[in-house]
Amino acid sequence: MAAIFLKNVGVDIPIYDVNHASLKKALLGRTIGGRFAQSGAHLTVNALKNLDFEAHDGDRIALVGDNGAGKSTLLRVVSHVYPPTSGTVHIVGKVSPMFDTTLGMSMDATGMENIQIAGTIWGMSRAQIRNSTDDIVEFTELGDFLKVPVRTYSNGMLMRLAFAITTIREPEILLIDEAIGVGDSGFFKKAFARLTQLVERSRILIVASHQDETLRRLCNKAAWLDHGNLMAYGEFETVLSAYRNPNTPAQQPATA
Amino acid sequence: MLTQVKNAPSMTAPAGSPVDFVSQSNLALKARIARTISEEVVAGFRIWRVWGIMGWDDIRQRYRRSVLGPFWITLSTGIFILLLGIIYSRLFHMELEHYMPYLTVGYIVWGFMSATANDGCVAFIDPNRIIKQIKLPYSVYVLRMVWRNFIIFLHTIVIYIPVAIVFKVEPNWAMLLAIPGLILVCVNLIWLTTVIAILSTRYRDIQPIIGTAFQLGMFATPIMWPISSLGDARIVAELNPAYHLIEITRAPLLGEVAGLHSWLAATAMAIVGSVLAIALLVRASRRIVFWL
Repeated sequence: MAAIFLKNVGVDIPIYDVNHASLKKALLGRTIGGRFAQSGAHLTVNALKNLDFEAHDGDRIALVGDNGAGKSTLLRVVSHVYPPTSGTVHIVGKVSPMFDTTLGMSMDATGMENIQIAGTIWGMSRAQIRNSTDDIVEFTELGDFLKVPVRTYSNGMLMRLAFAITTIREPEILLIDEAIGVGDSGFFKKAFARLTQLVERSRILIVASHQDETLRRLCNKAAWLDHGNLMAYGEFETVLSAYRNPNTPAQQPATA
Repeated sequence: MLTQVKNAPSMTAPAGSPVDFVSQSNLALKARIARTISEEVVAGFRIWRVWGIMGWDDIRQRYRRSVLGPFWITLSTGIFILLLGIIYSRLFHMELEHYMPYLTVGYIVWGFMSATANDGCVAFIDPNRIIKQIKLPYSVYVLRMVWRNFIIFLHTIVIYIPVAIVFKVEPNWAMLLAIPGLILVCVNLIWLTTVIAILSTRYRDIQPIIGTAFQLGMFATPIMWPISSLGDARIVAELNPAYHLIEITRAPLLGEVAGLHSWLAATAMAIVGSVLAIALLVRASRRIVFWL
């Protein structure tokens, strides 16, 4: 089984500008004291505020909210990338983030080598990679291109390969950030089918996106984030309509 | 439901992966140290396939388009040593047959240490996209740098074989001591790279400092000159930590025995340095991702 428990989670992200990333400035600031003290306090963004959130087996959660609402931050907290500033995060199950599909790909390596490299970074065993290679070859339809460096690929080809590699995992908790671009529209149908299969294999899905139709097809629940606050969390259509029409009274019960 | 899960997280979660993040203030220092060691250090050694393939790909990528491949460094190092050997052996009034093997081993071991430390500056900065997406132990990125430079070291140390044959270095059993010597060098490089990686991620102006320090260090360490040439000022070299690290690998390969104090110094550095690296990691491991 898989489960996610966030209790009172707050995440403050410090913003470092050039001055704060300088040892010289830090040392000078200390000796000169007051003069630099003001610039010494770095800016902090409260990306998540006192968030309570739970997810269990079978939950397919759409994360909705405007840009900067904290969707990506929440996904990064669940994937252990961001430690919370306050509160507790408790995750049961193996988390598979899918934020940037080309992650770990090496441009000068061949397609085949990239299956090895990216697969290993994604935490797959040698046997798992070996067993999925045929599947990737078939899915990407790249043929002999897999034997040449990926830097020679078109953008669409690269996305296909990256997508194929990231979707061979066996995720328990699958996290997706934004819709995944997979090149030409003819390929999109095939890619979406593969994504749906991956989602079906997972126990919990959290997907952040602005595309309502995609979310509607994948999700049964929705969570609405606004400025780091969880505004509503529950049945998909209820939350989505509350988010899309914030002035209708339907929002009130959802918020409470 | 909640309590039931809390009691049995380790049974459902894969070994070595963090299942629970608690905010810093809720954890006692002792627990934080134990957690950092197991999750950020030990877990990284365990997934050796990840840093193994990362480091290996770095090497392949660097030399993919050159004809000689990684042997390009072998060649350039060989030429450098040959030229320097001929000129400096005269400068220091040393016989070529003693000076060449001495210079070869010293220069190559120094190159390994210096390149690793320099790479340490970008150990977390280069893979920032990975760090911001997947939680891997930080030691993975450190070991990748040590490993990739160790591969380069293996490519360059082969130069010593013809040198040893031409200048008739007598093989003996003491040469096997080079293996524990090299292991100690690697242990020291792992903690040093960890420290450098953390500091230079936080303070971006550290990188040129490290570069300059190692550039100067090469002249201040007995590599191109014998320690005996210091005369009464020998203490200057003895106080140099790099000297002992080089000595415990160089002396065995030359068929000599390194002084016990060099072994002790290298071991002490490994212990103190590892404690320092872990202390720094305990403090910084939860912040590094925000510095990227």
